[in-house]
Amino acid sequence: MKQFIKISLLVLLVFSFSSCKKFLERPPEGQLNEEQALKTEADLQAFSNGIYTIISDGAFYGGRLQIMNELLGDHYRGEFFTGDYSEIYKRQNSIFGGTRDGFYSKGYEVIARANKVLSRLDLATTQKNLIEGEAKLFRGIATFELVRTFAQPWGYSADNSHLGIPLRTELDLTSKPRSTVAQVYAQVIADLTSADVLLPDVTANGKFYTATKWAAKAYLAKVYFQQNDFVNAYKYANEVIGSNKFTMDAGFANRFSLGLSTEGILTIADDANGFRPGGELRGAFRSDAGLPNFRFTDQYYAAATIRAADLRKAAWYSTTLQPGFNLLTKYNKNNFALPLVHLTEIKLIRAEAGAETGGANLAVAIGDINQIMTRAYGGTTFNLPLNAAASAVIAAARTERELELVGEGSRTQEIKRIGARNATNVDRRGSLWNCNGFILQFPKAEKDANTAFIMNVEGGCF
Amino acid sequence: MPSSLSVKNAVLCTLLLLFSAAAFSQNKTITGKITDSRDGSAMSGATVTAKGTRTGVQTNADGSFSISVPSSVTTLVVSSVGYASQEVSITGTTVNVSLVGTNTALNEVVVIGYGTQRRKDVTGAITKVSGDKLNTIVSPSFESALQGKAPGVQVLQGNGLAGSGSVIRIRGVGSITASGDPLYVVDGIPIISDQFSRSNAGAMNQNPLASINPSDIESIEILKDAGATGIYGSRGANGVILITTKRGKSGKMSFNYSTRLGAATYAKRQEFANTSEWLQLRQEAWENDGKVGQADLPGGYTYATASQNNTDWWDLLTQVGFINEHNLSMTQGTEKLKTFANLSYSNNEGYIKTNSYQRLSARLNMDYKILDNLKVSLTSGYNRGTNKRVSAAWDGGIGDAMSSALPFYTPYNPDGSYFVNGANPVRKIQETKRREVNERYIGGLSFEYEPVKNLFVRANGSIEYIKGLDNIFETANWINNPDSGYAKAFPYWGNNKNGNVTVNYLKDIGQNHKFNFLLGAEANEYVQKSYLFEIGQFANEPFWKNPDVYKKRRDFFIQQRESQTPPQATEKSDGEYTFNSFFGRINYSFKEKIALQLTARVDGSSKFGTNNKHGFFPAASAAWTLSEEEFIKNLNFVNFLKLRASFGIVGNASIGSGNYYDNYRQGGTPYNGTPTLYLNNLGNPNLAWEELQNVDVAVEFGLFGSKLTGELAYYNKQTTSTILNPGLPPSTGVPNINRNLFDSRVLNEGLELSLNYKIINKPTTKWSVGGNISRNYNEVLNWELGPDAVSGGTNDTRVVEGYPLGVNYLVRYFGVDAADGLPIWLDKDGKQTKTFSLDHRVFAGSVMPDYIGGFNTAAEYKGFDLSVLFTYVIGGNIYDNSGKYQFMGVSKKNWNFREDFYDRWTMPGDVAKYPRLTTDATNYPGLPSEDQFNSTMFLHDASYLRLRELSLGYSLKRSVLDKWKIRSLKFYLSGSNLLTFTKYPGGDPEITRDFENPQDRNLSPNVTYLTAPTQKTFVFGINLGF
Repeated sequence: MKQFIKISLLVLLVFSFSSCKKFLERPPEGQLNEEQALKTEADLQAFSNGIYTIISDGAFYGGRLQIMNELLGDHYRGEFFTGDYSEIYKRQNSIFGGTRDGFYSKGYEVIARANKVLSRLDLATTQKNLIEGEAKLFRGIATFELVRTFAQPWGYSADNSHLGIPLRTELDLTSKPRSTVAQVYAQVIADLTSADVLLPDVTANGKFYTATKWAAKAYLAKVYFQQNDFVNAYKYANEVIGSNKFTMDAGFANRFSLGLSTEGILTIADDANGFRPGGELRGAFRSDAGLPNFRFTDQYYAAATIRAADLRKAAWYSTTLQPGFNLLTKYNKNNFALPLVHLTEIKLIRAEAGAETGGANLAVAIGDINQIMTRAYGGTTFNLPLNAAASAVIAAARTERELELVGEGSRTQEIKRIGARNATNVDRRGSLWNCNGFILQFPKAEKDANTAFIMNVEGGCF
Repeated sequence: MPSSLSVKNAVLCTLLLLFSAAAFSQNKTITGKITDSRDGSAMSGATVTAKGTRTGVQTNADGSFSISVPSSVTTLVVSSVGYASQEVSITGTTVNVSLVGTNTALNEVVVIGYGTQRRKDVTGAITKVSGDKLNTIVSPSFESALQGKAPGVQVLQGNGLAGSGSVIRIRGVGSITASGDPLYVVDGIPIISDQFSRSNAGAMNQNPLASINPSDIESIEILKDAGATGIYGSRGANGVILITTKRGKSGKMSFNYSTRLGAATYAKRQEFANTSEWLQLRQEAWENDGKVGQADLPGGYTYATASQNNTDWWDLLTQVGFINEHNLSMTQGTEKLKTFANLSYSNNEGYIKTNSYQRLSARLNMDYKILDNLKVSLTSGYNRGTNKRVSAAWDGGIGDAMSSALPFYTPYNPDGSYFVNGANPVRKIQETKRREVNERYIGGLSFEYEPVKNLFVRANGSIEYIKGLDNIFETANWINNPDSGYAKAFPYWGNNKNGNVTVNYLKDIGQNHKFNFLLGAEANEYVQKSYLFEIGQFANEPFWKNPDVYKKRRDFFIQQRESQTPPQATEKSDGEYTFNSFFGRINYSFKEKIALQLTARVDGSSKFGTNNKHGFFPAASAAWTLSEEEFIKNLNFVNFLKLRASFGIVGNASIGSGNYYDNYRQGGTPYNGTPTLYLNNLGNPNLAWEELQNVDVAVEFGLFGSKLTGELAYYNKQTTSTILNPGLPPSTGVPNINRNLFDSRVLNEGLELSLNYKIINKPTTKWSVGGNISRNYNEVLNWELGPDAVSGGTNDTRVVEGYPLGVNYLVRYFGVDAADGLPIWLDKDGKQTKTFSLDHRVFAGSVMPDYIGGFNTAAEYKGFDLSVLFTYVIGGNIYDNSGKYQFMGVSKKNWNFREDFYDRWTMPGDVAKYPRLTTDATNYPGLPSEDQFNSTMFLHDASYLRLRELSLGYSLKRSVLDKWKIRSLKFYLSGSNLLTFTKYPGGDPEITRDFENPQDRNLSPNVTYLTAPTQKTFVFGINLGF
């Protein structure tokens, strides 16, 4: 019996080697759960503020978006691209590839964070409109960029019932099927329209490094323009320009600069002690620190520099930095603030949309295109007459757009938009605007999570 | 040779002795000497007990003993590990006994979790490998020496980099995201063995095990089934490797000095085209594509300039490495105090220039008997490993020599400057230096108290402290800086504290029923930290040459952060976890026939989500020694026969800590001057351990006078609740959440057979052969995700229902169209097509072998001994992931072209193994890019046979030793990986590449990417005992 008591006591001792609940809590250092992270309006604002750096991450606006669109376009020689780049260049993007996957995930990361913000507006008080407007603007932008990369363009089918991308308006982990392009654009326009109402027209520090209603309107102009809805494109471009908050840069040196441009409608700030956007963009195109793989074809280079007076030739191209190659110099800087949308693009939209809609808008359009050409050619030599035909204005706007936005990822979308508008193929590489390979394949992971997910048809552009 | 009956009797009697109460009366003193029957040498540490009492002593170094026993005692029992016990009648005051070694080893003590057992009583699947078997050859890390020695244990030895780690799989792998590595326990302490604590830096995984000194190891016990690992609960699913270090033995102080000197080279390399061959092939590809003129060349070369060079990069980067090891140990033991001490130094150069692993270690293990019923033990070991690292694989160096360093590139331009217009591994190896120092201290103190008879209370406290310093130096030339190079260092440190208390009670009921109860509680806390900043500065010398400069720089950064208002943090935690556990074990045995064991463990851990904090892991096992039954006893040829079975549930908790936690983080960098907050990942409060249901059935036997011994085992392991990180749709925006797939099920089912046969067993002549073979069948039984949802890194291995984990999912290559040289593929339905498509992929192979094993022979003749070990793999595949680029070497990929690809199509009508060469992989119709050129063209049979170990030694005779007054002296020659027989065309068939994470490691062994071949070594060794 004595022995039994002794043993029992020992067993007790062993078990009093106690299980303390706290001992089993080891949250990883620096990691917060939602309860700790989102407590106040300031937290929600900081969370929303973080989205600026995600949308301009190297995998999205910080380079990848431009890179993939430039690859799909018709400006570059293909023989220097390998791996993913080669695959995208050849318009035969397939189910694997980190370049594309990273872009897709980053776009949806923006959307997921915006959705989280929108689900926690209960924390917002005085800044509710700003926070909600920002979230909707980001969600609208990211959805727009994804749909025009992963789905055939607006106008591909008569009613736009062709498949778009999975629409996500709340943060959840289930698989979602692809919505139609019509549905996706409706959501984008709804988001941007709401953002236009909610966002302020000036920022706290007077700079356009954060969202204003002008950014929402500029993106509405871009979205409507992509839809060839010229009435609305004109309307919103006109409102942005009419705000008189943005002025055209005098030359071409400052569009990508450390705060010297006056054109940025929404610009990602460069902060020497904080976030620095555009690294991936510079890495791909920069031509003063080595030979980039992006090298213009002689055909494009000749077309782009056909007018000797074009100031953009000296500003944005070099054939001497790396002898024998036609290279872009637009991004030859160590750092710059990154405009997501700028006045030149909006002017070009108003020019083409003005010509398309006609009437009083045509004169405005001619004014816009002439302003751009005067700057480009160092004078009015190539300006259109004030009575120029709409078709001439449209042609000029398209030409100038290609030249102005070189390296900025615009060309591919233009090939598709013009294809949908006029049923013409302007691609210098000879593909049909609506060929399968002009859009990227979805990451295979979408399909693996849900076998019912419908992938794109691949290739077939040549 | 004792008869089997006497062995049995001896065992029985010893057992009775241990558990019976003693009756004391008057005492008498018996003295004597115990010797080894083989050579008559004195046996120290043998146990002499008075039969029927608890009185016992151990023999001294000269084999002598003196024991005082009650006058009623008439018999002494003499025993020693590895020898048959003998009972000797006391006829006078002197008793001399010659013990006979036994290989049936039934009395062998086997280390189990939280205790020991006699081999005979073991109910679980445990393989014991003694320390001397680990030291036959020089291996980069002790665990690789287990290859071929334990059935069911797959050892993929590390690659050719000094200090590289092996992949060890015990009875297959059932995990995906969670690590499939076993739990390593050194002297009762679960140690730090994470290969990914510093990510995949420089194309080499960390190997914390490399610093462990193999000569410290007394034995390794590999616990394989739930019967054995059940006591480790949530950490037992992958098996447990128990490492027991040497301890002091009874006897006078004695020393042992051993040294090994030798050379290291590579086992099997890849061969490449030289300049003229490469240029010719380039031109061929060029013309195949319809291009005219001379093909363009990379690196600014023309045909004329290129033809002048022919660099053998492999030769420039490799050497014969020098192996240099010294080890001095001491053992001493009295009744009160036993001590083992060991000092070791080794410096093993690899075959890659400047690559070496240097190990310094010291050990002191002491056991002190404070009272008759109170013992304290100290276990302490310090190891310091210095790895002079080199770049490899994708990080350049030897990897470049196998890929992008073309034969017409040269290390230097004519003006003496480095060539920089292409890969130049010589420049990299000379202008970048990396030195990683890892220190590990393990210290444990344990008390064993027996307050009442048969009740043992043990309390153990231990701490493992690790400290690492990864130093990198890049010269002025490398960073293209006129003034100076750049030195940087990444220190990290961590500790792992463990405490447990156990109560062990032995209770016999009558003669036949014996119980052994164990109850325990344990707490384990681990943390690893590093600085938040890089410690770097411009310098002309590496930090390791100027430790003061490093310290100053480090302190500067610390102070800089601490002096800010508010002070900034300086350190971060790289991983932190806790376990709090309760466990119990009941052993019951009936006569010598039946043994039953029940174990249970409750594990709580910080790794588990708030809704699943604690797991319960029960296991039951039993053994029936048939040879104790009358009906078997009558069979003369059966000496020992035991059936064994176990069933249990164990877990795998090898995931990062706090994976269940939401990952919101304050942004380090503000945006537009205002703070940022990020959601990096969502948490999962339901995150739990993986569960393994484990069945084991086995028969152990000794036949024909115990000449033939062996074991045949069957197991069935089913892993459920698989922990998975990937697989959510990326459009969720948070695609990587750790979660359990509760409905998933992965099977590992297998058979293991090991046999040993003593052909000759005479005192001066012995010859035995042995071997083992294991078959593991792996299949994903239940799986809900698509075939590409989970992949092993970039290695094209997959998880698919109905196939083994890490299945190769590839397009099938049929052959070459003799007319045009283009590849012919098979589509999903097996129809030939010339258009490549990823839709054609099928499950084409598996990186898991069908059979693994080893066979050995050992012979002794008059002081000479010879041992030979062959290891082999039958079946399974190697995926040659860099081969696809090497085949495309003369395309715009610009890589070295492997000689085994010469068998290619060159003109219409050619029957060739490989298709026509091209300048661009996408010229093969349908191929999206060269990255996607994954097909069975690069899938090979992984079978090989390897002469893994060969050792020839000579031990000096007793008479000579006595004259020289030394205990023992042995000279030997040994070699590792001496011969390799394989059909694999890509060089070394054993592939442990650098892995990205545990998932990659689980799914992609045998996938190579410029992996440096394993090393081959030759050494001359001396062991001296005095």
